[in-house]
Amino acid sequence: MAKKLSTEMVELLGNYGHIGFTFVAAIFIGLGGGIYLDEHFFDGNTSPWFTFIGLAFGIFAGFKSLFDILRTPAAKKKNRDKKG
Amino acid sequence: MEHPILFISIILEKLGLPIPHGPVGHGFLEQLCAPYMTYTWFVMVFLVVVGKLTLGNIEMIPGKGQNFWELLIGGMYDFFTENMGQELTDKLFPMIATFALYIAVGNLIGLIPGFMSPTASINTTLALTLIVWVTHHIIGIQAHGMAYIKHFLGPIPVLIPLMLPIELISNIARLLSLSIRLFGNIMAKETLLGILFMLAGAYFAPLPIMILGVLVSLVQAMVFVLLTVVYFGQAREHAH
Repeated sequence: MAKKLSTEMVELLGNYGHIGFTFVAAIFIGLGGGIYLDEHFFDGNTSPWFTFIGLAFGIFAGFKSLFDILRTPAAKKKNRDKKG
Repeated sequence: MEHPILFISIILEKLGLPIPHGPVGHGFLEQLCAPYMTYTWFVMVFLVVVGKLTLGNIEMIPGKGQNFWELLIGGMYDFFTENMGQELTDKLFPMIATFALYIAVGNLIGLIPGFMSPTASINTTLALTLIVWVTHHIIGIQAHGMAYIKHFLGPIPVLIPLMLPIELISNIARLLSLSIRLFGNIMAKETLLGILFMLAGAYFAPLPIMILGVLVSLVQAMVFVLLTVVYFGQAREHAH
């Protein structure tokens, strides 16, 4: 009983414990990529456009990773129920 | 802040080897003698020696030591099979199980005074994460060939210009989040313990944090391995 509870707990922590960090990392990578395009690829001629575009893509990517995190365990559980 | 006392560094210094004063040294030898490197080797030696001592000769009826390892390795094996399938587990079990043991021991070793967690350095965790990240792309390419790119194109062809950057960004975010989460948790534990030892070590102030530290160490090792397994499984699956 206790063992089952703790494995369930660890699985939940593994599945949902990284939500915050993944969300933030996606936004920062989008923003960083946008800034890089602006400053180094186009030598600042297009500043600030790619920064904003990159930021928007980063935010979307963050929400998409949240969606993925929510979808994956649910789909896995459905499969397991179908099998068992 | 006071420097933590790291006994391997002290021994190496007595032997006349250069010890870096910052977190990373300048010369090649100094980089090899950085604490996170020496303690990584310490963990490696520890795992090899303990494995050798407890598993000297494998018997049909397991003794105490063999029982422990059978429980641990068998539990991990079942867990991996459940999450990423039999074939991948057979191929990659040694790598992931080694990561699990190394990270768990490396995290826990930092709780003993005089030791340092090798995982409290971004270099170690980034190296582990890069191996995992590259491996999951290799698995995907092996399983699907060129069709692996469909994983990054989203469900509808019209949405490709929108979905491709988003998928790429969220894939690279895995690299960042996996490495920095392990590094951040363990470094926070080490730093907090160091500060509490300095402030009120004589009154057992670090004791509650050490109990929490055991929990954090094991959970972070589990989380790293679980996410590794999930990524490998996802790379193998068909694109939606």
